Amino acid sequence: MGNERVADIALRLSKLGKKFGSVVAVDGIDLDIAEGEFVTLLGPSGCGKSTTLGLIAGFFPPDSGAIYLKGASVESLPSFKRDIGVVFQDYALFPHMTVADNVAFGLQMRKLPRDEIAARVDEALQLVHMQGLGGRKPLALSGGQRQRVALARALVIRPKVLLLDEPLSNLDLKLREDMRIEIVNLQRRLGITTIFVTHDQGEALVMSDRIAVMNAGRIEQVGTPGEIYEHPRTRFVAQFIGSMNFFSGRIVANGGPSHVTTDKGLALAVPVPQSLAVGTPVYVAIRPERATLSARAPGVDDHITIKGSVRQVIYLGARHEFLLDLESGDQACVWVSNEKGSARYAVGEVVYMSAPVDSCLVLPASRGHASSPRSDA
Amino acid sequence: MINGVRRGSNAAPWFALKVVNTVIFIFILGPILITAAASFNEANQSKFPPRGFSLKWWADAFSDDWVDPVLFSFRLAICAALVSTIVALPLTFGLTRYRFKGRDALITLALGPLMLPALVISIGLLQFFYLIGLGDYVGFWALLAGHFVICLPFSVRTIAISLYGLPANVEKAAASLGASPVTVLFKVVFPLIKNGILAGAVFSFIHSFSDVNVSLFISRPGQMPVSVKILGFLEFGFAPTLAAVAILTMIIPLVLIIAIERFGGLGDFIYGERARG
Repeated sequence: MGNERVADIALRLSKLGKKFGSVVAVDGIDLDIAEGEFVTLLGPSGCGKSTTLGLIAGFFPPDSGAIYLKGASVESLPSFKRDIGVVFQDYALFPHMTVADNVAFGLQMRKLPRDEIAARVDEALQLVHMQGLGGRKPLALSGGQRQRVALARALVIRPKVLLLDEPLSNLDLKLREDMRIEIVNLQRRLGITTIFVTHDQGEALVMSDRIAVMNAGRIEQVGTPGEIYEHPRTRFVAQFIGSMNFFSGRIVANGGPSHVTTDKGLALAVPVPQSLAVGTPVYVAIRPERATLSARAPGVDDHITIKGSVRQVIYLGARHEFLLDLESGDQACVWVSNEKGSARYAVGEVVYMSAPVDSCLVLPASRGHASSPRSDA
Repeated sequence: MINGVRRGSNAAPWFALKVVNTVIFIFILGPILITAAASFNEANQSKFPPRGFSLKWWADAFSDDWVDPVLFSFRLAICAALVSTIVALPLTFGLTRYRFKGRDALITLALGPLMLPALVISIGLLQFFYLIGLGDYVGFWALLAGHFVICLPFSVRTIAISLYGLPANVEKAAASLGASPVTVLFKVVFPLIKNGILAGAVFSFIHSFSDVNVSLFISRPGQMPVSVKILGFLEFGFAPTLAAVAILTMIIPLVLIIAIERFGGLGDFIYGERARG
């Protein structure tokens, strides 16, 4: 995003850092978010994603670094002067006000004329399909409805940036999946720059233009959902999004027919990035849905093949998951989509797991070897 | 509240509970009813059941002799409730939201009177007022000071509970919508802790109105709460007049509670968090 004009950048975080006591919550984050973009901060709890959101909203000041909102530095601006809409996990509706008063609150703070407030509140409630419920109190609403009101309340002020802090995690599974699509459609329609915080990789993949995967206060990788899923750059990213088989080993040869020997003695002929020297400890990572199983060694070119036996079969309806004990002593998992209605291999059966070499990723084991996550921020 | 409890198939515990409840009600209501009945005796004897019927003791109770101290107690309790609420509000905000040096000491100071024998406070105040040369102010002002001290814990407690009970992010939400800290306070925080403030004030009022211990030494003739006056009168034995006065002093806080319950919903605060979002 480096070549974009400054004017197109809605929000820029620069070396942003925050400590709580001796705990580093956010450890020097750089991130540019373009106008109208939907960016997800994805990571496990405690990774600093909600703290980052709090810093952007101005709920507490950063210890270091800067925040630029439409080009202007805002770190010293209090929350109520930032024009940022926030939707909280617990919705944080005002329980003593009606739905309409909740939505009107931000407009009243802006001292807009009465009839304009009424018109915009109606419009906002319509936007989230809550028209006609303006007279209710939040307590008389379902979780999904409260969520919609919270969204309307944040949108109605036409904020420069919309922040969503795990807004779906208190909803039922079905409703959650519907709301994902609904929020994204709304966001696209309004073209509002949005930062979404979640620990749910599914939400991140479905909703985002770009995902910033966070770990221990830092951004590990930023990219489109496709980039993050197909080309994770660290073991953390690879295992946090989707499922992944890891084989720990060392690079034996690089350039030409390169390969990796695992700690358990397995030789895997996979392409190795030029940047990693011979002897570097690495993980070979293979997605369980990219690997296939066969009863006899397939003997195809450009595939790696590992012999093993079936330890357990897990039935998930749409697919079977085969847990394998490999000959080398490693373990692996392979997903086979359920096309026949029954598992193709029984427990104890000898099988060959194979995967195209271009689906095998070689990830450096230690962080120092990862290309810096800052380079594309 | 009972409606919310699922009844088990075993009837015995429920029966026991009913018995206990009945006994409690008998011991609470019984003496009140007996006292009320005794105030209608014909002769100057507190007999139960009353002998004959007369309203003369009630006429006595409504004479200036008794109405003045009742009104004095009423004024004192209103002032004590007001002052303790006004002081408790900023104090509790500070105590619940900030960590500062001397915070623990301040908490002990504010809540201490709950544990300290009130008589000690009374004697202490009496000596203190004379020591600093304000002996002339023993009476209303000393009483107000004493009642403020014993009422403060009630206000601090109830306000603290409602502050802790505020929904987690409403203040941040209000700020993000453009409300300055002062606006957040008046538009969001105060409306949500209103019942807590009110409950604290009512508790303070009742506590002050029914106090004897603190009032005992720092009253003076003409500036005497009705509780102290009753105590003095008791030296001459229990007369039907006292029965009438006692009922009168019970009705005042009762009316107050009923009025506020109707108007603001004190029960919301005491029994549950229906105000939560």
